[in-house]
Amino acid sequence: MNVSLLFLRKELREVLKNKFVLPVYLVLPPIAVILPVLFAAFSPQIVAIDQNDPAILAILRIVKNTPEFAHMGTDEAITRFFLRSLVSFYLLLPVGLSSISAAFSVVAEKQQRTLEPILATPITDLEFLIGKLLASLVPSIILTWVAAILAAVIVNWITWGKYETALLPEKMSDPQSANQFTGLVIVPAFMILIGIFGKVLTISMSAVAIACVVVVLLVLFLLRLNLKNFQREEILTKWK
Amino acid sequence: MISASMLSRSFDGVPAVETLSFEIPEGSLFTLLGPNGAGKTTTVRLLLGLIAPDSGTATVAGYQLGQSNNDLRSVCGLLTETPGFYDRMSAWENLIFFSQLYRIDQTVRDQRIEHHLRAMNLWERRQSLVGTFSKGMKQKLAIIRAVFHDPKVIFMDEPTAGLDPEASVMVREMISKLKGEGRTIVVCTHNLDEAQRLADIVGIINRRLLVCDTLTNLRSGARHTSAIEIELRAPLGDHQLTAMKLPFVKGIDNKDGKYVFEVENPSINTPNLVKALVDSDAQVYAVRPQTRDLETIYLQCVGEGGVDR
Repeated sequence: MNVSLLFLRKELREVLKNKFVLPVYLVLPPIAVILPVLFAAFSPQIVAIDQNDPAILAILRIVKNTPEFAHMGTDEAITRFFLRSLVSFYLLLPVGLSSISAAFSVVAEKQQRTLEPILATPITDLEFLIGKLLASLVPSIILTWVAAILAAVIVNWITWGKYETALLPEKMSDPQSANQFTGLVIVPAFMILIGIFGKVLTISMSAVAIACVVVVLLVLFLLRLNLKNFQREEILTKWK
Repeated sequence: MISASMLSRSFDGVPAVETLSFEIPEGSLFTLLGPNGAGKTTTVRLLLGLIAPDSGTATVAGYQLGQSNNDLRSVCGLLTETPGFYDRMSAWENLIFFSQLYRIDQTVRDQRIEHHLRAMNLWERRQSLVGTFSKGMKQKLAIIRAVFHDPKVIFMDEPTAGLDPEASVMVREMISKLKGEGRTIVVCTHNLDEAQRLADIVGIINRRLLVCDTLTNLRSGARHTSAIEIELRAPLGDHQLTAMKLPFVKGIDNKDGKYVFEVENPSINTPNLVKALVDSDAQVYAVRPQTRDLETIYLQCVGEGGVDR
């Protein structure tokens, strides 16, 4: 087995047995399923609560002025609007999950004094870094995909009954897939991207594609930089 | 098997080790003695290529430091001072994980791990979480981790630190067994008794390598001054004592009628001393070299070398 993949397998084992980290993995993905399902089922009712509320009025105005929604009924358009707004949540999910596991894995190696025995093996710096990255990212990405697929299935089941159309595969799945992919590679630059392109990402596919390319290049650059800066002796002698 | 030449390393301007030079032949057990902070762990890390020297070179098992450190590490084993394991994984899972990092073939790997676990009486506990192990059991497991890839050189940093006497004996037996298998072993310790029991070669370090020799040579002082105890039929007179002021005699002491001569190069000069005594009409009854124990040597060296940190 590839040495880097060993870390993934080992950390999965550890996470499954860690009562402090496991709940995070168990709580966030269900939220990513429940939220879109609630919006699919109750968006029109949410809007109907108080139609004089300035926020709701603003939403209705956007829905009305979006050409894409012109041929739809109001309820369907509002539901689509809310579901699209949730796409960013699927960016946040892998970032949140992986940041927890990354901190856990790196710090834990030093604390449980397993780092020196690892560094004393013939493992290369690249294998070690990739191993740590995979161990951090893969569970998060898989959980995000599972949550997204489950949400899509349930949301479509609900919306098919109400509007005789599946809302997620046709309109949402492409940006979602793009966003998922972005989520895969976006981690190091997530905050910057959300700050700068957050709004653009949800409506422009070309912006998503450009962002993906930028992020991939950024990730490769950062990986190379990390590899260059990775110093076994720094970790062994200066980390406390 | 290990050859170090003028190795030096400092951290933030503070020297950790300076100008270390030594040779360790294949199959021998080298004990590196020194007080806390003397540079023992730094020396091991240097020889494993985990930290780079500021100056100097070393060759370990044919690999020169800095040229192929991953190959070098593949033929070395390391027992760290505090053995770290994944507490939520079983002993078996831990060993499998580390053995995979050495890229050992699966069949060979499983056989070796089983062999070592049985030898250490841990086979029945292989599926237990390491978090439930005692310190002695973890140390046994760490020794297995240091040897399961059949290394030529094994570095052991304080292998019996914090262990109870029974576990210490077991670890020492294990080290002797590994040595018997022809491996070159470097043991860092400040336990003098352990060093005396195990070592072929003793190095005393306090930032610099103060002495490095076989235990026998260190005890007899073959390469340093040594005390020679001489018994005479009658006490030496003043003129005889004057005659004993030879260039190689560094001191004379009379203890309970026995004379103790501090002699330089005793293997060469003891016969000269006896001849001088006989020439001055002293009646020599017995001549005994006084061996020094390791504690005396250690304290003398560390005292002379100075603990300046």
